[in-house]
Amino acid sequence: MPENGEGPVLVADTIVAGYVPGADVLRGCSIEVRPGELVGVIGPNGAGKSTLAKAVFGLLRIREGTVRLHGEEVTNRPAHEMVRRGVGYVPQLQNVFPELTVEENLRMGMYLRPKAYAERSAAVEELFPVLAARRKQKAGSMSGGERQMLAMARALMMEPQVLLLDEPSAGLSPLFQDQVFARVKEINGAGVAVLMVEQNARRCLQICARGYVLDQGRNAHTGAGTDLLHDEKVIELYLGTLARVR
Amino acid sequence: MRYQRVFVPALVLWFLVMVPVGTASAQGEEVPRGPTFAARALQALIDGIQFGVIIAITAVGLSLIFGTIHLINFAHGELVTIGATFAFFLNASAAGPGWHLIPAAIVAVAFGALLGAAIDLGLWRPLRARGTGLINMFIVTIGLSLLLRHIVLVLYGTRPGSFVQYDIQNALDLGPAGITPRDLTVTLLSVAVLLGVAALLQKTRIGTAIRAVSANRDLAEASGIDVQRVVLVVWIIGGGLAALGGVFFGLVEIVTWDMGFKLLLLMFAGVILGGLGSAYGAMVGSLVIGIVAQMSTLWFPADLQYAWALLALIIVLLVRPQGILGQRERIG
Repeated sequence: MPENGEGPVLVADTIVAGYVPGADVLRGCSIEVRPGELVGVIGPNGAGKSTLAKAVFGLLRIREGTVRLHGEEVTNRPAHEMVRRGVGYVPQLQNVFPELTVEENLRMGMYLRPKAYAERSAAVEELFPVLAARRKQKAGSMSGGERQMLAMARALMMEPQVLLLDEPSAGLSPLFQDQVFARVKEINGAGVAVLMVEQNARRCLQICARGYVLDQGRNAHTGAGTDLLHDEKVIELYLGTLARVR
Repeated sequence: MRYQRVFVPALVLWFLVMVPVGTASAQGEEVPRGPTFAARALQALIDGIQFGVIIAITAVGLSLIFGTIHLINFAHGELVTIGATFAFFLNASAAGPGWHLIPAAIVAVAFGALLGAAIDLGLWRPLRARGTGLINMFIVTIGLSLLLRHIVLVLYGTRPGSFVQYDIQNALDLGPAGITPRDLTVTLLSVAVLLGVAALLQKTRIGTAIRAVSANRDLAEASGIDVQRVVLVVWIIGGGLAALGGVFFGLVEIVTWDMGFKLLLLMFAGVILGGLGSAYGAMVGSLVIGIVAQMSTLWFPADLQYAWALLALIIVLLVRPQGILGQRERIG
C-alpha cells in the first residue's frame, strides 16, 4: 500500500527491555510502521525480534524508550489496552486456546466487543475459508498451519489497524509457510499495517515493503525489503551465501 | 510401570477387605449388636459427601488461584479460619453483636471476599509487578499463613466454639442412616454453591475470561482481557468461598483457631487429585478425599482418616499422574 503522507501509526523509539533484572535483550532498537505498511523484522536467533514485539504490545516491561501509537505515547500500557486501541498481536507459540472450538476462539478475539461477533466473524471467515467449515472443531486438534490461520483470524476480529505477528511461519512446512505469507499479504492488502517478526528472512523480505535487521538488541540494517535482500552485508550475515546466487 | 496400575489398587482392595475380617474373627463369636456394616457404610458415605463438598467449596478458590497465577497459596486455610471465626464473632462471641447465624455468615463471606481482594491488591499485585518468582511468592504465602493464623489466635483464642443456632439437632431418619437437618442443609447449599461456580465459569463473560487466563495468560491479554482484573475477581471469589466453607465446617464440626490450617492439606489433596488448575477437578477431587476420609473410619481409627485420604491421593497419582480431570501434558 502506498504511503499516504500520514504520520507513522506505530513508532518504537530506542527501546531497552529484558526478562531478567540487569540483563537487557533489547538495547535501544527503534522501528516505525506507517499506515498500511508491511514491515518485517529479521535477525539471528537471540537478536530480540520476539522480545521487541512483546515489549511494543505491552507484554514485557520497557525499561527505557517510548512507544507511540498514532502519535500518542503508549509505553508500558497493558496489552489489553493496546487491543482496545487497535493493535492486534499473534504470539509465536501457543497462539490459540486449544481446549476451545474455532468459534469460541474467535469469540475470545471479540471479548471487548461481543455484540459485533456475527459481523466480524463473517468478514474474517471470508479471509480464512478453512475456519468456516471447522467452527465446531477444537483448536487443539487442528494442524499447525490451520492453527496459525485461526490465531491470525482471532487477532483480526477486533479490526486492528496494526497487526504484530511473531514468527508466523515458525514450525510450519514450506507449503504452509507460503500459505501463511500469502495470507499476511492479503491482510495487509486490506489496509491493515503489519509488523512481522520472522525467522525465515528471505521469504519475509520478499513480501515486506521495509525491513529491519536486528542484531543483539540493536538495529543493524534498515531498508526496503528487496534492497535488504540484495545487501551484501545482510546476505553475508543473515541470509547465507546461497542468497547471492539468486 | 504398567504393573502399578493393577498391583497398587489390588493391594489396597485386599487390605480393605481383609482387615475387617481379621478384626471380626479376633472378636470371636460375640458380635456386638448395632447397625449393620451396610448401614454404617451408608452413614459414612453420607458424612463423606458432606465433608467432601465443604472441602470442595474451599478448594475451588485454591484451584482457581493456582490456575490463573500459578501461585500455591499456603495461606488459603487461614481464609477459611477467618470466615468461620468472623461469623463466630458476629454470632456467638460475648463481645460481638449477637446476630443470627444467617446474616453473620453472609457478612463473614463478604468479609472473606474483601480480604481476598485486599491480599491481591496489597500484596500479590505489587509482587507480580516486580517480577517476583513463584518460589519466592510461595514462601511469602507461608509467612502470610503464619501471620494470619496467629492474628486469629490472639483475637479468637484457643477455645473451640460453636455457633448459637443449629447447634444440637435430631437426625432425620433415612432408614439405615440418618442426617440432621443442619447437615443436610449445609450439604445441599454446598452443592448449590458448587453448581453456581460451575455456571459462573461456563456461562458468564467473567467466567470465560477466568478460563482464558488459566489456559494462556498472554493470549488472554492479546484478546483484550484485563488479566489483573480477572485475577482480582478470582481472589474475591476464592476469599468468599473459603469463608463460606469455614462457616459450613464450623457449623457441622467446630470453630477453632487452626481449623483452616488442618483442612489445608486436604484442600491441596483435592486440588491435586482432581487435576491441578482445573476447578471441576478440585470439586471432584475434594469429594473423593472427603468420602475416602469418612469411609476409612469403617475399618480404621478416626484419627487416621486424613492419612487414608492422602494415601488415596498417592494411589490415584500413581495410576493417573495428571489427576482425575487433569489434562496430560507433553513433556519434551
